[in-house]
Amino acid sequence: MAAETETQTQTTETRQEEPELDRGPLERWVSDSIDNPERTYRALFYTAMIVMLVTTLFPFYWLLMVALTPEGQIQDIILTPNGFNPGAFIEVFQVLPFHRFMFNSFVIATVATVFVLVIASLAGYVFGRLQFPGKAPLMLLVLIVSFFPPAAFFIPLNDLFNSRIPIIAPLLSNGTLYNTPPALIIPLSALFMPLAIFILTTFYSQIPDGLEDAARVEGTTRLGALFRVIIPLSAPGVATAGVLTFIGVYNEFFFSFLMTDGQPQNWAPILEGLLGYQTQYQTMYNLMAAASILGVLPVAILVVIAQEKIVSGLTAGALKE
Amino acid sequence: MSTDTGTQTDSGAGRQRSILTPATNWIENLSESAYAYLLLTPAFALLTLVAFWPLVATFRLSLLADQTKGAAALGGFVGLENYLNVLTGDIRLARQFFDMELVGGFPFIQLGTPFFQQALFVTLAFALLNVLFTTLIGFGQALILDQDFRGRRWVRVAIIIPWAVPIVIQGMIFFLFFQPTVGFGSGVMQSLGLFSANPLASSQDSFFIVLIADIWKTSAFMALLILAGLQSVDRSLYDVARVSGASPWQRFKMITLPLVLPALLVAMLFRTMEAMRIYGLIESTAGCTTVPSMTCLVIEGLFGGTRIYGTAAAVAFITAAIIGLLISVYIVKFRDNEGGLY
Repeated sequence: MAAETETQTQTTETRQEEPELDRGPLERWVSDSIDNPERTYRALFYTAMIVMLVTTLFPFYWLLMVALTPEGQIQDIILTPNGFNPGAFIEVFQVLPFHRFMFNSFVIATVATVFVLVIASLAGYVFGRLQFPGKAPLMLLVLIVSFFPPAAFFIPLNDLFNSRIPIIAPLLSNGTLYNTPPALIIPLSALFMPLAIFILTTFYSQIPDGLEDAARVEGTTRLGALFRVIIPLSAPGVATAGVLTFIGVYNEFFFSFLMTDGQPQNWAPILEGLLGYQTQYQTMYNLMAAASILGVLPVAILVVIAQEKIVSGLTAGALKE
Repeated sequence: MSTDTGTQTDSGAGRQRSILTPATNWIENLSESAYAYLLLTPAFALLTLVAFWPLVATFRLSLLADQTKGAAALGGFVGLENYLNVLTGDIRLARQFFDMELVGGFPFIQLGTPFFQQALFVTLAFALLNVLFTTLIGFGQALILDQDFRGRRWVRVAIIIPWAVPIVIQGMIFFLFFQPTVGFGSGVMQSLGLFSANPLASSQDSFFIVLIADIWKTSAFMALLILAGLQSVDRSLYDVARVSGASPWQRFKMITLPLVLPALLVAMLFRTMEAMRIYGLIESTAGCTTVPSMTCLVIEGLFGGTRIYGTAAAVAFITAAIIGLLISVYIVKFRDNEGGLY
């Protein structure tokens, strides 16, 4: 932008030589813009930015207005709520055990994240640092999985999770995985693991070979070098992969919707809670809005805290190839 | 378990060492390739359980006949009959709930069009329009974020937040927005003559609502990828161009666009594949019978009034095949430049 001010001073000089004309405001504005293009670009830039901010953030503001409007008065809300009822944020927990749904989502997302990080660390290390036959095809296989439609995997998985598995029968009441956390954690881990592998591959491959060699010379085992040298040195990468996996699992719809019966005690995640405010007989719009705001808060906070990691993770994950 | 082998070298854990030493020695003595395969085992075990095996099993299901009578949802082996029926629109069994009447109708689809054609049209049109608009909007957002200004960090947060919103909440927002009694969205659109009075009950209007909702959420993804491309452009190129008197538009066209294009194409392809899987947003706004995407058909086939596993599996497999085709295009196209996928 430094060079722009240069052109700006240049144009102001030429303008002073121009004879004063009797101009209307529009003409004056047009001639100003022609004389001083950089300033016009700047104005355009700010206009575009404000338009963009309004369109991205307005839905949240509007959601808050709906949530604050007392039930029964909810119609044509635009900028202000019809009435004021912050009680909806408490009622949300009374009508449905929304806290239980949130808790379920947190447990599922956290366990899946840890699970993904451990498995993807091993795979990321292999793809990032080792040479072996079949590396490219295997990497490709991982990529392909992450883009196939979940519907193509769903039918057999649904059957599997609904059938009695003898090995786990002593652990679970009826021996099936349906309505248990693994029914969500297993498919969701597989769904988000490829992205984590890509991110970790990028980060692990950037660690200089010398550091790992030194650790090996000092007497660490192979796995010791991985867990004591490579992973700690790539902590930012691991955090990035973790944040993206957590957000991904928390936001997922397909398996989250279909792998439980929607009951909070059966580990139904947050999305079932949100849909629960719409029953056959009654739709509690203000509670839907309030619950949506509560549901967005955790990820919104995560975005504010970890925005750098999210940005670097998305770009590394998608553009690494 | 791998973690245990890693930590066992702690000098204090003498007892543990005696148990784990054979395993450690075994790992130490593996060749590099064997070690690589060993570390990949957990990842591929998970992928086999959740992806490779189900894909094969889905294909097997798709070769079995639909069965509505009796307890079993599956009949005998019929070969590719389900595929033929799906593609030609001749579904006797499915007709009762699959041949859905599109309310309001799409401009290019006539009422009574076989369900698969409807779904294919809806899915492809959605993916195409979605990628077009997310690219344009994402590019705009990326150009804004590429500038230096005060509060850039917060503007970036604002752009990313919709991307991080759970799909069900994204659906909820637009469901409320276009509810005739609650939101003002439908009223505004109706007075502009664009939507009907209850847009969420009309296929055409709902299609655009779903499209808008998805653009709102996913343009951030595009923006971030394009921004990464923009920031890798050598800034001195701009200075050279400025000195030679290039206008900002020329600078954009001659420098920015060509250099960002590879990243942009990859991002567009990824968005296409993702848009082709659309389901959750539809389910939480308009419902699957109003805007039938391909994934919607699979779920309707499994959980709808009549359970038609074979046909549902065939639809699932066709969707997978189309996406597989896209992936192959990607591999062929990008493998040669930039060294491909490793």
